[in-house]
Amino acid sequence: MTSSARTSASALSPASVPSTGPARPDASGAGVVTATASKPVLSGGTVDLEAFEQALGDPFDPSAPLSFARSAESDRREQFPADMCRLLDRLGMPSLYVPVEHGGALARYDELTAAVRSVARRDLTLAVGHAKTFLGGVCVWLAGRPEQARALGADIVAGVPVAWGLTEHGHGSDLLAGTMQARRDGDGYRVRGEKWPINNATRGDLICLLVRTRPEGGPRGFSLLLVDKRRLPHDRYRHLPKVPTHGIRGADISGLAMDDCPVPAGALVGTEGGGLETVLKALQLTRTVCTALSLGAADQALRITVEHAARRGLYGRTMVDLPHVRRALGRAHAALFTAEVVSVFAARAVHTMPEELSVISAVAKAYVPSRVDELIMTCEELLGVRGFLADYHEHGAFQKLHRDHRVVGVFDGSTFVNRHSLISQFTLLARGHARITANPAGVEGAADLTAALPTPRMHRLSLTARGGCGLTQGLAGAAADLRGLTADGRAPARLADLADELNGHCERLHEELALCPPSSQFAPPEAFTLARRFELCFAGAAALRVWLHNAAAGHDGLWLEACLVHVLQSLRPARTAADEAVFDRLFDALRTGAPVAPPTTGGGL
Amino acid sequence: MNGSESDPLEPGLGHWLRERVAHYAQREPAEIDPSANLTSYGLDSVYALSLCGDIEDRLGLVLEPTVAWDHPTIEALAAHVEGMLTDARRPQDAG
Ligand SMILES: Cc1cc2nc3c(=O)[nH]c(=O)nc-3n(C[C@H](O)[C@H](O)[C@H](O)COP(=O)(O)OP(=O)(O)OC[C@H]3O[C@@H](n4cnc5c(N)ncnc54)[C@H](O)[C@@H]3O)c2cc1C
Repeated sequence: MTSSARTSASALSPASVPSTGPARPDASGAGVVTATASKPVLSGGTVDLEAFEQALGDPFDPSAPLSFARSAESDRREQFPADMCRLLDRLGMPSLYVPVEHGGALARYDELTAAVRSVARRDLTLAVGHAKTFLGGVCVWLAGRPEQARALGADIVAGVPVAWGLTEHGHGSDLLAGTMQARRDGDGYRVRGEKWPINNATRGDLICLLVRTRPEGGPRGFSLLLVDKRRLPHDRYRHLPKVPTHGIRGADISGLAMDDCPVPAGALVGTEGGGLETVLKALQLTRTVCTALSLGAADQALRITVEHAARRGLYGRTMVDLPHVRRALGRAHAALFTAEVVSVFAARAVHTMPEELSVISAVAKAYVPSRVDELIMTCEELLGVRGFLADYHEHGAFQKLHRDHRVVGVFDGSTFVNRHSLISQFTLLARGHARITANPAGVEGAADLTAALPTPRMHRLSLTARGGCGLTQGLAGAAADLRGLTADGRAPARLADLADELNGHCERLHEELALCPPSSQFAPPEAFTLARRFELCFAGAAALRVWLHNAAAGHDGLWLEACLVHVLQSLRPARTAADEAVFDRLFDALRTGAPVAPPTTGGGL
Repeated sequence: MNGSESDPLEPGLGHWLRERVAHYAQREPAEIDPSANLTSYGLDSVYALSLCGDIEDRLGLVLEPTVAWDHPTIEALAAHVEGMLTDARRPQDAG
């Protein structure tokens, strides 16, 4: 197993996305992807993420297996990208959805997120359509019987798609409102009701369903059934038609209707009544992984925009040399780097502090997609009309990713839902912060990218983070460490000033959290603002930690400075011009090809 | 154990829980029926988890966060927690 979780995010250096993908002469978009080089590079034996990235090729090259040209074609036809999915299957991507102990290759969540990001930076529809199988399987990894997990693992590794059915018509985020019902009938269940809109509801041979097993419902009134449609009586279920969507048009967004359908008792995942608990734990993992979809979208948006700006002449200059363009692109990179640090930190935290994941995953899923939405808007402005035309300019890749990304902040728990889940933990966060109760080793293990990751201990996942958040609790200490480094010139003083400023915000925030009245289901708008501020403090603290634990000698801290200024700008009442110049310096450095990206990015920039 | 040793069986536990639930529901304690399901006060499944943190903090116990799901009324929750306290105070646990 290679230890590399690094990806080559590459907005600036075209060389970093390899252009030597497997040859694929068929440009019609409808043909078969030739499999010359598509042998598994992800498998139980090896996880070679660099070879995976290589094999996917350069999307700007129309003959690459995953090209913008091909993606545009299936988007236009609203056709599922089946060929591209098969290529991912051949490369072994599905094995990353299955933990090693169940026959797959998933030993590290940062590897899974890196692979999802690699696919998403080429085609978000494809990433959403393919990676859904991880979401479909995860409840079984957490609560299923060993033989059930083994059989599902074998199916997934063989390329069988799996869906996850939580949502119903009329009930979205409120999982306890679900009406699909399973009642005991002899040896098994009879299931009645509909799930909609569900990703891969039609394609998925298997679907993991949240069903009501007590008529009165409640937190112990729901259970999970892993239903194998291949074994159901055909007259007892039907697929609901594909729903036309604004983005991810090629994806199979449809539904499943069950009509007193018999389901064997062995389909039960975990205990009867344990469904909600398992789903809430599973969502901690899936929300962490979904942030990689946003990172891929950001990689793609920035690369398209920077390449355009570098070519486009305006008023006798190149666009990229206009001061506001340079500033905006620098800021957008700072946004990407911060989002990336949060995502990688969260993926590593699955291993090092699963007991805090209820907080960390909520922060990551609220922060990353919403900041990437902003980044995409910046790119859209810079691209001008090219961001809007459907076929022109890289086959309309930008307007496609713009539409595709909109859904990332909606599904698998919207930004609001994740903030609400943070709000419900404010008391624990405030109490933990006052007493420093969380375990600092977990933070260090997540931030130090060279540290070995322990096997994930899923039984330690918890619905609430009992000790609060170790990362924010340790911010004062991290800021003090940084101050210490400035004494002998190992870090610039302005970095320590920024870290102190962030720490000040974090302390004040926690005083406010302690005073925030509990609000049960109906949290006040002010609480959502506090949650957003918590995300910003968390993001800045994650960047600081990653820098502290991985800073190479002589590293000037430019990326950290840019990340801190980026989060502080949203925490401060007003912007100050002096700070913003860091974005110019960041972009200038990136243009020279200097290694200024955070170590979470890896070799690309 | 913090501050509760004087109450061997926590006679005040039910009372205190009622105050906590009233606090979350933003109502008067007198309005809270100890035999009613917590959800009838708008205490959704996620907030029931916070209640667990409060109990842990007061009594120095470690509980499953879902304790209020499995014991969804104040009476049931108090009885369950009292049972745990009794177990925790058995002499063999001291050594
Ligand atoms: C492309 C696509 C694919 C999907 N795939 C799947 C799938 O595979 N499986 C599946 O089960 N579902 C799937 N869904 C459904 C998706 O998860 C739901 O849309 C989601 O649960 C939100 O539900 P809703 O949009 O109906 O919003 P609602 O739950 O009706 O919410 C309405 C609004 O209130 C906000 N809100 C909700 N709860 C809270 C809260 N507690 N605090 C504050 N604000 C809140 C929401 O953010 C939203 O803005 C998919 C949806 C789409 C669009």
